[in-house]
Amino acid sequence: MNEVPYPPPKKIIEAAQRGLSHLNRYAEPKELEWLQGLLADYSGVSKKHVVLSPGSNLLLREAIHGFSKGRKVITVSPSFLPTIQAAKQFATKLVTIRLSPPEFDLDPELVMDMLNEPSLMIIDNPNNPTGNILLDRKMVEAIVENTDILLVIDEAYYEFSKETFVGMVQDHPNLAITRTMDKAFSLAGARIGYLVAGEAFLDAFSSLYAILPRSSLYAAIEALNNPDYMRDNVTLVIKERERLRKSLNKLGVHVYPSSTNFLLIKTKILDIAKRFKDIGVLISDLSSQLSPGFIRVSIGTREENDVFIAGYTKILEACT
Amino acid sequence: MKKIIGLVVNPVAGMGGSVGLKGTDGKMYKKALELGAKPGTPLRTKDVLSHIKNKDRITLLVASGKMGEEYVKDSGIPFAVIGTVGEETSAEDTKKIAGEMLTDGIEMLVFVGGDGTARDICDAIGLRIPTVAVPAGVKVFSSVFTVSARAAAEMVDAFVKSTDVTEEEVLDIDEEAFRGGRLASKLYGYLLVPNTKRFLQAGKEASGMSKSSIENKKESASYIAEQMDKKTLYLLGPGTTLKAIADEIGIPKTLLGIDAVFAKKLVGTDLNEKGILNLFERYKRKKIIVTPIGGNGFIFGRGSKQFTPDVIKQVGKENIMVVGTRDKLSKLDCLRVDTGDLEVDRTLSGYTEATIGYKEGMMVKIKC
Repeated sequence: MNEVPYPPPKKIIEAAQRGLSHLNRYAEPKELEWLQGLLADYSGVSKKHVVLSPGSNLLLREAIHGFSKGRKVITVSPSFLPTIQAAKQFATKLVTIRLSPPEFDLDPELVMDMLNEPSLMIIDNPNNPTGNILLDRKMVEAIVENTDILLVIDEAYYEFSKETFVGMVQDHPNLAITRTMDKAFSLAGARIGYLVAGEAFLDAFSSLYAILPRSSLYAAIEALNNPDYMRDNVTLVIKERERLRKSLNKLGVHVYPSSTNFLLIKTKILDIAKRFKDIGVLISDLSSQLSPGFIRVSIGTREENDVFIAGYTKILEACT
Repeated sequence: MKKIIGLVVNPVAGMGGSVGLKGTDGKMYKKALELGAKPGTPLRTKDVLSHIKNKDRITLLVASGKMGEEYVKDSGIPFAVIGTVGEETSAEDTKKIAGEMLTDGIEMLVFVGGDGTARDICDAIGLRIPTVAVPAGVKVFSSVFTVSARAAAEMVDAFVKSTDVTEEEVLDIDEEAFRGGRLASKLYGYLLVPNTKRFLQAGKEASGMSKSSIENKKESASYIAEQMDKKTLYLLGPGTTLKAIADEIGIPKTLLGIDAVFAKKLVGTDLNEKGILNLFERYKRKKIIVTPIGGNGFIFGRGSKQFTPDVIKQVGKENIMVVGTRDKLSKLDCLRVDTGDLEVDRTLSGYTEATIGYKEGMMVKIKC
């Protein structure tokens, strides 16, 4: 599920506990506005552009539900599965763009050719599960220049990739960014997602007034007031990610470059996910989304990563 | 009630690989023996049997000697033996025994071998009962094969507990070309396999997307049938995905051939190039609907040679529709063409929108 393996600092857990002591009450509007303001500052936008939600997947679903009538939904394949599922459920028509190995790039010419009718385009950047950056500023500018197109960029892994288009939202009404505190902030259990939305999206989302649980709300506020631990998390995860990549390369395993907290791996052992499961290691089998042999591995603690490397070595030995 | 499951093992499958040969078809078996090749299928067969969990719910009907009997004795599964085989086994033995098993009432057939064995099983039983294809050959390119012996055992267990079935492709690999380093494959036929994808995958990535390929084919077929224009001639290529479209319209379909449809009525069956070109004289607007071959992604040039460069040129790239299941398309890096005319291949290259579900398309690159 690509969570960060490190729990949040004690102060954040204490903040969540304070929230729990008010379980009989809904969160106060001013508390929600406080979080909204902190997220606006963190993102460098004004508060009115920020929409809160219990999880960014719900925002993506809401965007598809609200904007796919009379519009084609365009996304990439492979991609974040809840996006594809929601599009299949609500969209007038869904067209996915196949990302192919070895680069898993998004062809800018193809994208521009496809924007010949009103469309809602949803791109995860970096992409999950390839870990690849798909968009650059030039491509985003070219897409949003066409006002018949609504573009939603899912930046769930922004803190790891450091690539963002959030600064363009205030000048481009047809652009929106979804983000989450689930990953880099170690708050997956709190489910804090948010949308930084251009004007064209704001009306539709004005009715989405998410009353977040106080425990999640207080934890998120504390995290944004003292975000240094998140930066440490990111540094540690990236260091471990690269260590794991090099170790796997030494074993002759093909690992793709990643801008996230997970690695995409191509192996010749087609039932490797099952073999790992048998030794107590859960990894993501991507054989339904990519050609057989592709797996996605979340970066764990140093010890967990060592268990993975040792497991891989054993499996390789058993297969040769 | 116990399920009766047949087991046929090709004892020479895979022997060529260990000694650098690219198969054991024909005289290559003797050459493999001379080079000191050892059979690999006994271990593979025992591996499958050892992983079956519902041993008390099945009875095996096995071929005699090294085509089955030798590997089941210690498996803990009750069995009966059928037929006799000599010292040297052949494709004819496989076909004959599989046919006899079918007559004796097996409900599913497990076979161990490669693409050649799959073709023999295809000839013998066709789509009459489901199969589990255990890969043990040098060439295992057909999508009918499971990914491992364990996966094969899971399929058997799933079948015992009851599961739906789906058709998977059997490919005909040109062994001479393969030895020359070239993969020349074409569609040979189909076998039924238990639709156990959901048992073989785990975790969030697979959640909610495990619609069976049969349902997925129906979805795509229904969408294509809705889009079919009454003033256009449609040429339906080979494959079960195209058969699903024919089923949707309510007409018969030649599984491995090309049929023509106009105004939802069959106007040509199992057409060759001449038959197609004759139809073009009567019908101005025309479209071709094809599905890629699983595993290698060919839409033209393998298994549908009737779509010649001349036919394709007359139809035009913009009138070629590609349809396939989400699962099949997702596993392909790209689509491929090899019509024999480089200019036509180049014209076909680039992106195309393949239908992969109801109102669902995927932009995929065609390469030559």
